[in-house]
Amino acid sequence: MREAVYNSSIPDVASKSVKRGLRLARVFRIVLQFSFFLLSLRIGAFAVDWSAPEQNLARKIAAITGPGAIAVAIENRSSLNKRDSDIIQNGLRSALEALGIRFVNADQSAATVSISLSENAASYVWVAEIHQGAGESAVVMVSAPRPEGSLTARDSVPLVLRKTSLWSQGDPILDVAVLEESQSPTHIAVLEPEKLSLYRFQNGKWQAEQSLSIVHNRPWPRDIRGRIIPASDHLLDAYLPGVICSTAPSSVAALNCRESDDPWPLLSGTMSGGAMSVFPSAGLGSGATTLVPQMKAFFASTRNFFTGVLAPGVGKFTTVPKFYSAAFLPREKYTLWLFATTDGMTHMVDGVSDQAAKLGWGSDFVTVKTACGAGWQVLASSRETNGDFVRAYEFPDREPVAVSTPVDFQGTITAMWTEAHGDTAVVVTRDPDKGNYEAFRLAMACSQ
Amino acid sequence: MKLFDWRWLAVSSVLAVTLMARAEARPQYGGTLHVTTRAALTSLDPADSSQSASFAQENILRLIFETLVSIDDAGRIHPGLAIGWKPAANERRWHFQLRRGVKFQDGTLLTPEIAAASLRAANPAWTVSADSDGLVVERDVADPELPAELALPRNAIARRNSGAAPIGTGPFRIGEWQAGKKLVLAAEEDYWSGRPYLDSIEIEMGRSFRDQMTELELARADLVEVAPEQAHRASLDGRKLVISEPVELVGLVFAQDAKTPEEKSLREALALSIDRASIRNVLLQGAGQPAGALLPNWMSGYEFVFPTDSDLARARRDRDQSRNVPAWKLGYDANDSLAKFLSERIALNARDAGLQLQPAAGATGDLRLVRASYTSPDPWLALAGLATLGGVATTKSAGSVEDLYASEQALLNTRRIIPLFHLPVVYAAAPTLKGWTLRADGSWNLADAWLGAR
Amino acid sequence: MAGGPITVTFRRKLLAVFALTVFVTVAGVGGLVLILTRQAFEKNEDQRTSALFTQFQGEFTRQGEEVARRVDAIAGSEPIGRMATALSATAADSAAYFDLAKSLADTHRLDFLELVDSRGIIISSAQSPAKFGYPENDFENLTATAERTPFLMQQELPDSTALAMMAVRTSRVGDHPIYVIGGRRLDKSFLAAIELPADMQVLLYMNRGDHFSSEFLIDPSGSTAVPSTLVTLIDSVRQYNQETTGIVHRSADQGDDELFHAIPLRGVGKDHPLLGILLIGSSRRSYVELKRHIRDSALLVGGGGIVLAILLSSWAAARVTRPVELLARAAHDVAAGDWDARVDVPGNDEISQLAESFNRMTSELLAQKERTVQAERVAAWRELARRLAHELKNPLFPLQLTVENLLRARTQSPELFQEMFQESAGTLLAEISNLKKIISRFSDFSKMPQPQLQVVNLNETLRGVAQLFQAQFEAPGRLPIECKLELDSHLRSIAADPELLHRAFSNLVLNAMDALPNGGTLVLRSRQEDANEIIEVSDTGSGLTPEECERIFTPYYTSKQHGTGLGLAIVQSVVSDHGGRISVKSETGRGTTFRIELPADRQSVEHLGNPDTPAKSIL
Repeated sequence: MREAVYNSSIPDVASKSVKRGLRLARVFRIVLQFSFFLLSLRIGAFAVDWSAPEQNLARKIAAITGPGAIAVAIENRSSLNKRDSDIIQNGLRSALEALGIRFVNADQSAATVSISLSENAASYVWVAEIHQGAGESAVVMVSAPRPEGSLTARDSVPLVLRKTSLWSQGDPILDVAVLEESQSPTHIAVLEPEKLSLYRFQNGKWQAEQSLSIVHNRPWPRDIRGRIIPASDHLLDAYLPGVICSTAPSSVAALNCRESDDPWPLLSGTMSGGAMSVFPSAGLGSGATTLVPQMKAFFASTRNFFTGVLAPGVGKFTTVPKFYSAAFLPREKYTLWLFATTDGMTHMVDGVSDQAAKLGWGSDFVTVKTACGAGWQVLASSRETNGDFVRAYEFPDREPVAVSTPVDFQGTITAMWTEAHGDTAVVVTRDPDKGNYEAFRLAMACSQ
Repeated sequence: MKLFDWRWLAVSSVLAVTLMARAEARPQYGGTLHVTTRAALTSLDPADSSQSASFAQENILRLIFETLVSIDDAGRIHPGLAIGWKPAANERRWHFQLRRGVKFQDGTLLTPEIAAASLRAANPAWTVSADSDGLVVERDVADPELPAELALPRNAIARRNSGAAPIGTGPFRIGEWQAGKKLVLAAEEDYWSGRPYLDSIEIEMGRSFRDQMTELELARADLVEVAPEQAHRASLDGRKLVISEPVELVGLVFAQDAKTPEEKSLREALALSIDRASIRNVLLQGAGQPAGALLPNWMSGYEFVFPTDSDLARARRDRDQSRNVPAWKLGYDANDSLAKFLSERIALNARDAGLQLQPAAGATGDLRLVRASYTSPDPWLALAGLATLGGVATTKSAGSVEDLYASEQALLNTRRIIPLFHLPVVYAAAPTLKGWTLRADGSWNLADAWLGAR
Repeated sequence: MAGGPITVTFRRKLLAVFALTVFVTVAGVGGLVLILTRQAFEKNEDQRTSALFTQFQGEFTRQGEEVARRVDAIAGSEPIGRMATALSATAADSAAYFDLAKSLADTHRLDFLELVDSRGIIISSAQSPAKFGYPENDFENLTATAERTPFLMQQELPDSTALAMMAVRTSRVGDHPIYVIGGRRLDKSFLAAIELPADMQVLLYMNRGDHFSSEFLIDPSGSTAVPSTLVTLIDSVRQYNQETTGIVHRSADQGDDELFHAIPLRGVGKDHPLLGILLIGSSRRSYVELKRHIRDSALLVGGGGIVLAILLSSWAAARVTRPVELLARAAHDVAAGDWDARVDVPGNDEISQLAESFNRMTSELLAQKERTVQAERVAAWRELARRLAHELKNPLFPLQLTVENLLRARTQSPELFQEMFQESAGTLLAEISNLKKIISRFSDFSKMPQPQLQVVNLNETLRGVAQLFQAQFEAPGRLPIECKLELDSHLRSIAADPELLHRAFSNLVLNAMDALPNGGTLVLRSRQEDANEIIEVSDTGSGLTPEECERIFTPYYTSKQHGTGLGLAIVQSVVSDHGGRISVKSETGRGTTFRIELPADRQSVEHLGNPDTPAKSIL
């Protein structure tokens, strides 16, 4: 029922309400009036009491399943931010538990409940699809009023990318890996074409620890690229075109390099069982790890790009066009892969289709998993007349939405790789004026 | 499956524009806005139901006429010509308090009597009476949706003199009117909410999408319609597009109720046989959303519950339950090339499931491919409108979202309508057009629009 | 000329025979010319049609090559190359190309174009845009024909099927080939594009369904009606799957007929299915017109010949028949009594000999007749003489006896002479008186007066007669005769001579009295019949034999012992002089009835009734 109002208030209430109507318009206005943003964020930060709809939905679910063991999956399909979404998820679980429901895996449960936190124009709509037995399913739902302020706390909040200089030198840098850190990095590896150098921050300054030469038979290609992947059972692996080097398991004093066409890992997360990459939660609770199937790609040993042959492949695609870099975005049922192909296009491969788009990005982009926005962002390099910049994007669907302000760099970006934890990236630039190379760490800040 | 959503392209375009934009100059008064539309209006009477509803019609009427109340995208009611409203007698009787001092474009003062007469003309079944400060609408049954219904363009207040064109209270008055061809609107100097920035709006009607785009490129039009399926290409061509939420349902509507369970199974088989994803990907070029439900998610919030994936195996099983499979004739609008392609593709999909579907241009057929716009952002009214389309009588009523779901589920279970896609409306505007917005329901707001320097 | 209008004269017969002969001859010659012309023309027509068919085949092939050239151009075009490149490295999404075929088909003016990937999946279809993603029908056969000559193919369209001239080309820009399958619809415009002579046309029948259907017949002329003969031709090709020729009637006008060659068109594939039937028609108008021309000429010449023949034959017939006609006319004249009729036919032929014979014959006949008349006259005189002799002999014989008795008495007994003389003189006077009476009767008959007409009431006359004889009917010494008058009171007066009528009626009454020696009834009857007044005199006497009835009016004939036999002849003479007629009806033993019909001439009666006109009287 609609509320009866006798709102003989100021006439321009109407026009303001109408103007606020469209989400597009909202975004428009939000961006224009940044100050209003801050206000909204503050409103959004206020704790909203979701308990009534939570308990309401839990009761409806329990009325169908009864108490017992069920499998629950909760998905946020709405504009709720991650924080609110998590709060609601927890609240729903608590409410269900209070009604005598235990959570188990799907194969042990009598019923599976898929809860979607959705929304319509007027309110949030939480829908529970309950599957019991063969083919039986029921749908229950509740609506939750949309707090005025929370409307604006959308994923399109511009995030802030912060760059921290890691290392700088006159020789070319292929990659820098932070091996240890406390507040700031204390032990780093710098990959150069001919050697791998280890530095340790001691006594207030960086000191060279070791320099391990890279043995290779063939000459390196021009625009050589290389990547350091920290390993769990030894210090690290270094991938170079046609050559893979590994530190000895026992000691770091040796670097074993071999001619190899083995594919390079595209996911930098900590290796776990060889098949999946575990992305450690970045600042969230222990339950929030994300598993992404590992993906490797063969690198052309005499060129500066990946051949396009993937292992194991994305869905039905085991080959994609030749590409410089790749990023991925985990989705509900699949992972969307983005490849910066050598023709300047960005190919989006979801395992079923391969769609090419010209996004105006440079040839390097990486995926980071952060606590901000939708949780997964793509950092992409772009070029402007006075230098390159990196910007974070999200993909609500297949179109990138810029979610950060650009970070400018002096000079050209020569390398960009995700760091081992997955929440930051290393960017290497070359200053054409000075001719030296500098490595930066790019980290996402959710708010200022 | 490739699922891209060009809406976000538009959002990002807008975002990018706004991010790069310098502080705009203050709004400028003056100028003529040139608009083109595909629909050709034959009447400017909001209560005239003889012409098929179109976004263009509603948008144009909104420039001339106003409703007692307005409804926002969230379904909230806002004051319009009425500044307040109150139900009585268990929502059977509603009192609306009229805004004072509002004048029609011919200078006549808006009185409760005129407003009541206007509503009576639009709704002969209603009992509308005027009182000292407003009007009273009485219904036979409780009608909680009445304010939302009064926000529909057809309930706009118009002063009708026999013979002459109806006169409204809106921001623009009719300057020149050639039915089906051209409409020139002039700014109403004494508009109660402030004279619009634009001096006039020239609307050329009955123009094809291609012509409209050409007009825009030649700078002869400032605001043009873009076919949803052309939006992707237009954006690749560098056009700045504005895309609404999905506001149009593409669906199959059967002419008759399913008489037997077998027939229901066959209809179910047809619904399951249609590969919406590939149709959207190719024929719609990524526009819109595959629809399993009648209402789009932005209205209902639960659309994803209705599956949209094709399931040929199940479709064949359903089809096999029927001993004789009739050859259905699928009618589509001969003037709509998209409808033709869709019909042909659906016929091919249906054939894969062992069904016989013969597409034929024209309104007749065992079932029709229809493109229906939602009558209101209010889901209940929108659903009632679709029910009418499917020939199913439903009583519109407000209620919880679960009630809405149940109503929609019941409507779908009649198997009169098979939803296929939800399409947005897409507009391309000249860079000089500032300050105009497109609401979620596809309607323009041109009162605040203005023309800047090229 | 004698005889009615329907009489078929000899001249006409002759004329008809002549005309028929000429007609048959002209018709026969005309027909022969026609047959020979047709044979020559058909031979020429066959040669022309085969030449035109060759020309058509050339055009058809040229069109096919044009299709192939266009498909070639498309396969080598930049958009296809770009698409092939884009789709080659990975199975990238082909959605963006779904309407490429349509635009390429439009650009290259092809009706059908499909872009098919190496797996046979349709990327884009100009004719069925909705078919993207579906496998191409008959892909194996199609790819086998790639780079080869164009072929015919049935194209399934969303709402119909069409026959098309197709070509397949491959674009090998990328790693995987892209098949470009394009073609033109074999339709009106395709057929219209084939350059053909003016009197030739091409139709195409798409072979679908079990029965002929006019919707599958493509006719660039746009005619809607399909002649049944064309349907038969098409059905024949469908049945026997071989080239057939037939004449197609389009209307009652033979000039609209066309000679059609039906050529089966077969598609690719193992069975080479019959996809269509090409129908090349050439108009038979020129042939029919030539035929007509010949016929018209034949008719004109024949007609002219017949007219000429009629003129000539009528002249000839006139020449031949004129003597015959003269003969006929003369014969007719002779028959009519003109014994002087002569025929003058010059020359010495059979007809002139016939005329001469005729003339001789009439002369002979005339002589013969004169001889007969003389003989009859002699016979009549002889009869009169015999009569006179007979009549005169009876009184003369007593005269002679008396005179001889007187002479004998004077010599033998003069004493008795005086007595004898006195007695004999009386006898002599009596006999002389008898002789005078006889002579007077003959004299009376010869001097029958002309009737003096006046208005006569016949009933009055009859009553007068009855009254006159009343005394005699009842005279003593004889058996009485009853006289009855049955008179019609409405009897009209007539113009007649009352004296003569009185005499005639009296003769009849006398005659009746003679027939009633034993008494009986005599009836005098008058009545009116049509324009005639009828008088009947009946008796109940012994009656007459039929011979007597025939001869009764002959003069000097009598059945009585006494009498001159002139009484009834006089009656007949009187009646005849009044324009009437007399007849007798008698039955032996039952009596005799004489019947007199007298015309009632009203004009004469009125004329006589006028007081200014004095009635003539013979009295």
